[in-house]
Amino acid sequence: MPELPDLNPVIHGKLRLALLSLLSSVEEAEFTWLRAKTGSTDGNLGAQLLKLEEAGYLAVEKRFVQRKPQTLYRMTEAGRQALTDYVQALKQLLGAAIDA
Amino acid sequence: MMGNIEEQDLKDRLSLIETMIAEGRRTTESWGWTFVLWGVAYYVAIAWSAFGRPSIAWPVTMTVGGALTSVLASRVRGKHPWTTVGRAMMAIWVGMGISLFILMLSLGMTGRLDLHIGAAIVAAMLGTANATSSIILKWKMQFACAVVWWTAMVAALFTSENVTAIIFLVAIFLCQIVFGIYGMISESRRHKADAASQGVFHA
Repeated sequence: MPELPDLNPVIHGKLRLALLSLLSSVEEAEFTWLRAKTGSTDGNLGAQLLKLEEAGYLAVEKRFVQRKPQTLYRMTEAGRQALTDYVQALKQLLGAAIDA
Repeated sequence: MMGNIEEQDLKDRLSLIETMIAEGRRTTESWGWTFVLWGVAYYVAIAWSAFGRPSIAWPVTMTVGGALTSVLASRVRGKHPWTTVGRAMMAIWVGMGISLFILMLSLGMTGRLDLHIGAAIVAAMLGTANATSSIILKWKMQFACAVVWWTAMVAALFTSENVTAIIFLVAIFLCQIVFGIYGMISESRRHKADAASQGVFHA
């Protein structure tokens, strides 16, 4: 019987998973948009985004638009690969759970 | 760790990924207003050239229309992110707009602009842009607009100037004003539905 894969703990948190999934479908997104889409608080969202950034899954760009600060998040190649691997692992586990 | 994960939790996570990806893709499709704006711009340009100064009516109206679209688009889009589909849509319409602007300006300046040929070119390009958008967005209603423009293109070459003018006014009304309002209503309904289904996620 093949060995079951481990789920990446960095992505496994529901908010982090939601964030990576959202960012996989857009080129880049602003902090406020991510907050609106996930319904998360500023503090929690900032902390989870930082974890994803530290893992190298997100790239951050800070800039000023009409004198207002704007923080943009973009998924990196490593992030895209990690999400793909996570989905594969989920499907494998789900297959094993159904077979059991 | 694996032993504790239940089947339902795995399914929930897959569903969460699918929902969020769909959510991200749904964000940049509020463009119904641009059809209405350009429909009004076409009517202004037609009326101005019929009763005023035809040499400047189209270039000035199109330039003002382009500037207005650009300013309003940046406000409407606000903090919404770009998607590949959104960028593709913009590329199609901006490319078509610039081509049409340069071509019509050049034809007007050289005196080689014939009403039948000019109308057919405009209708063909609008038909192409609508058809391309509709195929990408899988939007049948927009493909119907492409068919209307292609019909106007053929009619422009086979009918009198008066009939061509009437067909164009009708095509603008159907494919710009009516379609634009329909698009705005659809977008508004979708945004309300999206807002109602928004979830809260915790770490």
